[in-house]
Amino acid sequence: MNAVFTVLRKELIDGLRDRRSMMSAILFPMIGPLLISFMATTATELQRKSHDVKIPIVGAEQAPGLVNWIERRGYQVVEGPLDPEAAVRDGAVDFVLIVPEDFASNLTKAHTAVIKLVLDGTKKDAVASISHAYGLVEGYGHMMGRLRLIARGISPQIGRPITVEEVDIASERQRAAHFMIFIPMYLILAAFITGMNLAVDTTAGERERQSLEPLLINPVSRLSLLLGKWLSAVVFSCAGVVLTMASLVLAMRRVSWQELGIQLNLGAPEVAGVLLATLPLAFFASGAQVLVSSFARSFKEAQTYISLMVIVPMAPSIIAQLYSLGNEWWMAPIPVLGQQVLMTEVISGEPVSLLSYAATGLSSLVLGLLCVWITARLFTRENVVFGR
Amino acid sequence: MICIEGLQKHFDAVAAVDGLDFDVPDGQVTGLLGPNGAGKTTTLRMLYGLMRCDRGHMEVDGVDVVRDPQGAQACMGILPDSRGLYPRLTAREHLRYFGQLHGVDKASLEARIDRLIHNLDMGGIADRRTEGFSQGERVKVALGRALVHDPNTVLLDEPTNGLDVMGTRAMRTIIRQMRAAGKCVLFSSHIMQEVSALCDRIVIISAGRIVAQGTPEDLLEQSGHDTLEDAFVTLTGIDEVAR
Repeated sequence: MNAVFTVLRKELIDGLRDRRSMMSAILFPMIGPLLISFMATTATELQRKSHDVKIPIVGAEQAPGLVNWIERRGYQVVEGPLDPEAAVRDGAVDFVLIVPEDFASNLTKAHTAVIKLVLDGTKKDAVASISHAYGLVEGYGHMMGRLRLIARGISPQIGRPITVEEVDIASERQRAAHFMIFIPMYLILAAFITGMNLAVDTTAGERERQSLEPLLINPVSRLSLLLGKWLSAVVFSCAGVVLTMASLVLAMRRVSWQELGIQLNLGAPEVAGVLLATLPLAFFASGAQVLVSSFARSFKEAQTYISLMVIVPMAPSIIAQLYSLGNEWWMAPIPVLGQQVLMTEVISGEPVSLLSYAATGLSSLVLGLLCVWITARLFTRENVVFGR
Repeated sequence: MICIEGLQKHFDAVAAVDGLDFDVPDGQVTGLLGPNGAGKTTTLRMLYGLMRCDRGHMEVDGVDVVRDPQGAQACMGILPDSRGLYPRLTAREHLRYFGQLHGVDKASLEARIDRLIHNLDMGGIADRRTEGFSQGERVKVALGRALVHDPNTVLLDEPTNGLDVMGTRAMRTIIRQMRAAGKCVLFSSHIMQEVSALCDRIVIISAGRIVAQGTPEDLLEQSGHDTLEDAFVTLTGIDEVAR
């Protein structure tokens, strides 16, 4: 046991002095908040943009009823440009509504009146405001249709045999969890990336700088040595997850979620729950990395294997999302997937049983230990020790 | 005290070590001499427990190496073939790390580290990180961490490899000091002059077999030559290969 602590202490000192290890442990957590701010600002901008939509209309004087209808809904009607197509093409406006001269007379004769919507289908950022304009004109048209039927003594319901009523059972917090889907992803990545450098440096790095043979000559079991090395990577990984969580929380405090129609409760219990769910993943992540690195002859080789390996644990969660699998009992013990399910539940504000935490955490711990044990066995083999 | 009997080791079909028998007594310096590829490093690796032997028996201070490798490692100080250091640790931290791994208690460890730093003349570099150390400085650190638990038996694999004249002389002094302290020293080398300058006994191996062993005088007598270098060439049969 003493040897484990000796190795752990040495590797931590070594890691703290290593610029590469410290960079990945500190830089990664700092990038998260930048992403959040960017996403939130963009989302808020889009939302604001759609509310401030100005509706440019050419020939507005032909359709005072439509103008009135639009203005009552909080939008501003402005005079349309002289050359609507050129204006849309140049990007001066997103779209232009054109009321033809025969509009009023067609309406009076109970014909179908036409309103032209000039738009550029390739401009993706104009989609929101165009659909607003489209919806406004359609809404006005429906109202006129109902009035025509009523004027002829027919119930408007005759013309609307079917209507759809949406029942959205997602709570606002669940919607927030959906929006926040990348938080679990980011924390899971943090567990893998922030400890990675130590996992590689203490195994493949040890072999590369030819210090493995002198180390193994000491009267200490391979398992003790590897437990110490593994735990040092676990410490870095846990610190990375906590740092990442802290910087995410700080960043999210600065976003106005009300404006996005999202209720995000990330108080102390949720933060604690998310951390409790993620931290044990460090055991598995570091264990798997130590195991993979022990096959590599050099630091670079190990890094290549491990960067490829990050995709493997992501696979279950990606598949689960593709097939939109819910929460099944067998997901809990699968590393990464289990953590993701747990975190999504915590963020959605659903009650999470201690059993789920235990199943997910213990499975990561056991699998991590198994990896370390296999590595220790490998390190008794001559071709692994001497890299032949 | 090291006893080796009937030691054998094959790599696939090649016999790297093919039946070695020799003893290394305490208070003497024994040289394991042989050309490159003779099986010196393989023999030492089996002796310090990192390679398994196919057959044979090895004892260090009465501890069976095969049955209790960790017990045997605890009585040995080893300068192996690869002597990589940790570039971000200081020389002193290297010695401390290995001392702790050997289970040296805290109180005596620091005193022993100080004494070794003095003996190995490492005062100027003790608290510097080893990144950028010269070859000679690196060997000193590697030797220091091998001796930090004050072992009775010392194995040195080509200890003067890569050292300059001053480094080589310093290494000889250290080896003589260890002999004076009554330790059992076994070192391997392919350089005749080095072995002849230091050794009480010489074991010459070639192609995994012992071709001769004894004091330098014995070897001269056996070969019928005047110089040890000629004796070495004749005994190992290098000249026959060259012809």
